[in-house]
Amino acid sequence: MDLISQIISLTFLAQVLRLFTPYFLGANAANFSERSGVVNIAIEGFMIISAMGYALFTIFSGSAVVGFFSAILVGILFSLLFSLFVIKLKINQIVAGVGFNLLMAGLVKFLIIFLFQSSSNTPRFDSLPNIYFLENIPFIGKVLSDYIILFSFALIFISNFVLFKTKFGLRLRSVGENPEAGESLGIKVRLYKLYGVIICGFLASLGGIWLASNQNSFSDGMIAGRGYIAIAAMIIGKWKPVNIFVACIMFAFFEALEISLQISGTFIPSQIVQMLPYLITILVLIGFIGKTKPPAADGIPY
Amino acid sequence: MVLLVIGKNPFEVFSLMFSDVFGSGYGLGQTLFKATPLIICGSGLAICFHASLFNIGAEGQLNAGSFVIGLVAYYLSGLPFFVAIPAALICGFIVSGLLGLVPAIIKVEKGVSEVITTIMMNFIILALINFFLIDFFAVKSTVHTEKISDAVMIPKFSDFMPMFQGSSLNFVFVFAILIAVAAYFFIYKTRFGYEIRAVGYNDTASKYIGIKINKIILSSFFIGAGLTSFVGMNFIMGYKGYYEFGFSNNLGFTAIAVALLAKNNPIGVIFSALLFGFLDYGGLTVNTIVPKEIMFVIQGIVILTILSVDKLVEKYYLK
Repeated sequence: MDLISQIISLTFLAQVLRLFTPYFLGANAANFSERSGVVNIAIEGFMIISAMGYALFTIFSGSAVVGFFSAILVGILFSLLFSLFVIKLKINQIVAGVGFNLLMAGLVKFLIIFLFQSSSNTPRFDSLPNIYFLENIPFIGKVLSDYIILFSFALIFISNFVLFKTKFGLRLRSVGENPEAGESLGIKVRLYKLYGVIICGFLASLGGIWLASNQNSFSDGMIAGRGYIAIAAMIIGKWKPVNIFVACIMFAFFEALEISLQISGTFIPSQIVQMLPYLITILVLIGFIGKTKPPAADGIPY
Repeated sequence: MVLLVIGKNPFEVFSLMFSDVFGSGYGLGQTLFKATPLIICGSGLAICFHASLFNIGAEGQLNAGSFVIGLVAYYLSGLPFFVAIPAALICGFIVSGLLGLVPAIIKVEKGVSEVITTIMMNFIILALINFFLIDFFAVKSTVHTEKISDAVMIPKFSDFMPMFQGSSLNFVFVFAILIAVAAYFFIYKTRFGYEIRAVGYNDTASKYIGIKINKIILSSFFIGAGLTSFVGMNFIMGYKGYYEFGFSNNLGFTAIAVALLAKNNPIGVIFSALLFGFLDYGGLTVNTIVPKEIMFVIQGIVILTILSVDKLVEKYYLK
């Protein structure tokens, strides 16, 4: 009973919304990339490197705002590098993604040790400024006053609008569905793929920055597979922003539940709850929860 | 390397690396020891990749198999080693293989790409292992299983050749080479291997010459994933004597790079695994000058560079 009253509290809701943010940013990042036909496993790597970027630039400049913009830049730069491999050189996207993730994980470990002589985390630093007058609302003030959380809510509408209501979105999707047809209509296919990957880098880096800002330090392994969960959420959400939103809320709920379970120490093993998102993803893929259909030309170099 | 612009002399670093690795039997031994699991896992993955199956799930598969190998070897400690070791290996092979079958079946039955399912399976398998390990099998307040008896340990090279004194190199290395050679013959010299390559190259054409594609997908996944379990042998029987959670340290992903680097040729896998083993141990030798993690960075760069060069060569020479 204790657990149930815990779940319906506002604190729990705030927790769910906080866990939801990086997933949703990551899932939208993945979606923009995949809609343009680029399978991007490297989201995990993008999140890691931009979280690290935020940490470094905040520490060395002393200003969280500088850190923020530099980290966005870092995310975009690495997404450009990634596009060089997958769009220009047409390396297999999954292989490049795996290689990228290994590289990023190694790079941040190396940087932490090299710069801070610590094996696992950076010194503490400031988090991003908040909207100060909303901060004092009880329980959910911290959520409502956070720019990135608010942005990720707006993203439901922004993503939907950009993908389905603008000329840009139409072209982006056509590139992911049938690049030949797009090309014959004069769309610059590779350019649109590049746009997709850059937007992906931008959104993923927001996710990474938020995590670092929220913890006030960067620790090795802090992204902990969130990039992969984000991709899972995108698949469950069938490449549609509104559905992705629901999937992310679900994952965040499970994770919050897992944390509560660990604290209250019930009989359900936390590892079982931990693997639920992945299990559900596979079930969705098998077709238990409706048909899923990725963009037709997803993962095929052009 | 551009990355050593951080103010250390790259030549100093690399010469130290070379002299430490090749200058002593210990260094050489450690390099071969580090290469051993990569040879095994890379050979297994090469079989999957030949069928154009992207098995990203080796990390989970090899952990499950190794876990089982550790347990079986522990519980069968009473039996003579020539029974206990094969029994443990067979159990490990079957468990890893069956876990590899899951994404294969989903692919065959539902047409779902194995890439996403294998990635998801990694997380599921690791969570399950963690659950079984901590709740049932682990030595209290550790994340490893009970130590197996010395009778089922594989002898070390240093027992016979004093030059490898102190190194963990053991006869699993020889076993790994044998696996790679066997995988080579399997892929290139048997009818079954031919069918695997045919399916990987052009599945539609294969279907019309009477190859049962589904059978090939299922069996190559089973064999490839099963082989990854033998990785545990090196760590459990050749080194620590128990299965420890997290021992693989992303080996399943590195092995993907090893296999691709060798263009999925198991003999080539031996050499690319040696290169990665060299980087891995070499990182340790220079740890006092630069953090050893630099080697992960170099490994990542090596992967991406080689893939790019490969594509460029393809583009400009084979036009």
